[in-house]
Amino acid sequence: MDTEQTVAGARFVDPKVLARIGSLELLARTVVDGFINGMHKAPYLGVSTDFAEHRGYMPGDDIRFIDWRVFARTDRFYVKQFEADTNANFSVMLDVSRSMSFGSKELTKLDYGRYLAACLTYFCTKQRDRVGLITFDAEIVKRVPPSAKHLDVVLHELDRIEAGNPGSLERPLFRATEFFKRRGIIVVISDFYEDPSKAVNMLKPLSYGGNDLIVFQILDPAEIDFPYDEPTNFQDLETGQSMPVIPEKLREQYRQLVQEHIAALSKLCGENRIDYALFNTATPLDHALFKFLAMRQKLSRVR
Amino acid sequence: MGVLAPLFFLGLATLAVPVVIHMIQRERKEVTEFPSLMFIRKIPFHSFRRQRIRNWLLLILRCAAILLLLAAFSRPFFRAAALAAVTSTAREVVILLDRSYSMAYDDRWDQAKTAASDIVNQLGPDDRATVIVFDSGAEVGPRSTSDRASLLGLIGEAELGSESTRYGPALKLAEGIFRESNLPQLEAVLVSDFQRSGVESASGVNFPAGTVVTPIAVTGEAAPTENVSVAGVLFDREYFSGRERVSVAARVTNRGMDVVGSLDVSLAIDGREIETVITELPPNGSSTVNFAPVTIGDRPMTGSVRTQGDLLPTDDVFHFVVSPGQVVGVLIVGNERNVSASTLYLRRALGIGSGPAFSVTTTTVTDFDAGDLTGRKVVVLNDTPPPTGQAGARLEQFVSEGGGVLVVAGERSAWPPDGPDMLPGTLGSPLDRTGRGAGLGFVDYSHPIFELFSAPRSGDVTTARFFRYRLMEAAESATVLARFDDGNPALVERQLGNGRVLFWASTLDNFWNDLALKPVYLPFVHRVIEHLADYTASTPWVSAGQVLNLAAQRSVLAEAGLAEADLVAISPSGERIPISQGERAGFLTTAEQGIYEIHDAMTPSESPLTLAVNVDLAESDLTAIDPDELASALTGRVAGDRGDSPADGPARAFAPEDLERRQNVWWYLLVAVFVLFVAETVMSNRLSRTALNVD
Repeated sequence: MDTEQTVAGARFVDPKVLARIGSLELLARTVVDGFINGMHKAPYLGVSTDFAEHRGYMPGDDIRFIDWRVFARTDRFYVKQFEADTNANFSVMLDVSRSMSFGSKELTKLDYGRYLAACLTYFCTKQRDRVGLITFDAEIVKRVPPSAKHLDVVLHELDRIEAGNPGSLERPLFRATEFFKRRGIIVVISDFYEDPSKAVNMLKPLSYGGNDLIVFQILDPAEIDFPYDEPTNFQDLETGQSMPVIPEKLREQYRQLVQEHIAALSKLCGENRIDYALFNTATPLDHALFKFLAMRQKLSRVR
Repeated sequence: MGVLAPLFFLGLATLAVPVVIHMIQRERKEVTEFPSLMFIRKIPFHSFRRQRIRNWLLLILRCAAILLLLAAFSRPFFRAAALAAVTSTAREVVILLDRSYSMAYDDRWDQAKTAASDIVNQLGPDDRATVIVFDSGAEVGPRSTSDRASLLGLIGEAELGSESTRYGPALKLAEGIFRESNLPQLEAVLVSDFQRSGVESASGVNFPAGTVVTPIAVTGEAAPTENVSVAGVLFDREYFSGRERVSVAARVTNRGMDVVGSLDVSLAIDGREIETVITELPPNGSSTVNFAPVTIGDRPMTGSVRTQGDLLPTDDVFHFVVSPGQVVGVLIVGNERNVSASTLYLRRALGIGSGPAFSVTTTTVTDFDAGDLTGRKVVVLNDTPPPTGQAGARLEQFVSEGGGVLVVAGERSAWPPDGPDMLPGTLGSPLDRTGRGAGLGFVDYSHPIFELFSAPRSGDVTTARFFRYRLMEAAESATVLARFDDGNPALVERQLGNGRVLFWASTLDNFWNDLALKPVYLPFVHRVIEHLADYTASTPWVSAGQVLNLAAQRSVLAEAGLAEADLVAISPSGERIPISQGERAGFLTTAEQGIYEIHDAMTPSESPLTLAVNVDLAESDLTAIDPDELASALTGRVAGDRGDSPADGPARAFAPEDLERRQNVWWYLLVAVFVLFVAETVMSNRLSRTALNVD
């Protein structure tokens, strides 16, 4: 019996992936505020079960929060403060430039990025976060503002996007800073064909508002290993320029340059408190995502 | 080793082509899309421009093919091999045997054949020889053969010809044989009587360096020049008692330095001797012998004038065909007023001449009757309108059937609408030219009418002055043969069926012009009438060796009843020569002296068309050139001399072109190139297939 999918783009939410990462939580490593109590630590002390500290009573404080036990021992009024849990803004910035359409196997980098974005969005919706989406190439192509009800819209947009134009990080990332007035989690998914220092300089403003910035670099195995043998004309998907290439003569140099690029990007991100993860499209998404989230959860305990 | 065209080695630059192809061809075969060339661009450019050459064997094959191709085009040759060939003693001998009719003098022909046979018998085992038999043309037997039997057979079967000596064609043939020969020693043996008259044609012949010319003169110690010949005949026609009589006058020449006394000269007609006249010839002079008139019949008769035999009998006889005098019937149609006066000049002009004679009848247009056209070939409408009605239609039919009409303009000329449709244009009004009058501004000298006047001092038709003429607007189908100096047509021709119509825009008397008073008037009028009558003079004789186009002589064949027949010629020796078959249909080459008879191949006639053939009398002059003089002219050295080479050294100094042509190394190189390209194709296909399988 055929079952019709009720939500466009729901195909990107792979049950296997969700099953594997379901035990994890995408927690904001920095505090974010929200209207409803959620999974993330709020920047404010509020109503929750986690005790934070005591402070002296000030006129106007709610007398419900006076710790009567302490008053009994010290004969002074102290007020108990609790850490507030709240929902977060979760935004995915997905690179849809032409280079993302590359795929040496069945799956292109853009498809991989779509799966990744969809899974994370779904995951965040489940923990009552507001989800949004920004797609960009050299400009911002589409923006879905964060909202708790925007899962369908985000999945629909992920289903519709196509890689078309040459890409650039500078302008869309700069423009995107205007959209993140409220602190939240921002995930940037791209192949990052840019100089690492420049790329990080462009990423940094996204984290200025106290946002938790996560960078996913997606690369095809062919981009990493350069497995070509026959001398051919290589054509740049972004610019359309071509040049004769004899792979065997430059394979080693190429691999070295790519590794240097990855290492530099990773190092600079770390220095700027940006989470960085390299996703190889040859690696199953659930494995990669599980590994990343597990590492992040582990690190989030360190405050 | 040397090359003839070293500039072709500039093409060595093309060797870079296969190398470049091997370096870059595979990387341009397809395009691989890649997300970004950011990292590739950072790698130094030169490091991936260089390509390791994989198929060295294929590259070597291609380079070798190009190299050999260039070498072939540069036309290489080996000097060492040539030297080895030159030091051998094999000879290329060309025997040139003169068979012109002067060789019939005494026993020269037998001497010549014996000498030629001796040369063949003296050939060495490695020698090769060619026999060329020549007179004015040349025939060559088997080329460069060592088969003595065939050479001796060719000499033994050679026969004397009837043509004169021309050394040029035979020597050119020999030169070609020498140039193609790869034997080291070249020798030309010229067996001849070395007549001076044939030497002129040898200019331009230049034997290869080192060629030895051995002249063998068959004239003895001192070449005799005594020779009497009949140089030609003249006919004087007259009518006596209604019969035509011809007086034959023969011109007899003595080429010797002594007086020839009591020489019998006889005339024979149709094989029967008519008269013998005894004459005396001065030394190196000539005399004319007149024979009594002979009455001729209705058909052509063959005749000959013969002197008593001397050592060269061939030129002692002169053959001819004497035909009954041809008469062209001309009807002059004038106006009623003064037909006699206006046709005076015309009648007087046509009354003169015997080749052809003109039978002129005069009438007026009103008296003109269709019966008047019987026996006429030309009608002259002189200053009169044309006959109309039935007479006009008959006149038009007369032209269509091959007759000719000359329309002469005048005061009373007019062409009514009901006149016959034969005028070559639209007749206009008379035009007066005052002062000195008009002249002829344009004359088509290539036309048979004016061809006679084309040579210098042959009469100038433009001296006549025309004071009045009628205008005519020539039709598109008409041809204007002459125009006045103002551009108006003077003489216009129109072809109508098988006949012709000519329009003369002025009069043929001295009323409108002074042409009738000019010396050109008589030949002009004769030519006009002969052209209209399609007259062709009978040819009493032709020279031996001449090629006749019988197909073009329709009127002659028609008179003999052979117009539609398959023709066959019977030569004086009795050989049947079909004329109407093969590639040369209609052509007859007259090789023999004497009388040729031309018959219908199916039904031989008792009175065939006859053709007299006489030898070229230039050959009668037996004055000889020094054989060594001719030999040195051909080689630039004294006869028998091989040049300045030492006697035991190389006999021939080959020019590089000769060496290259003899060796033809380029041919072998091209074969090698072909083989290499085949191997390259096979190998590259196999490599491509292997590469595909691997993929």
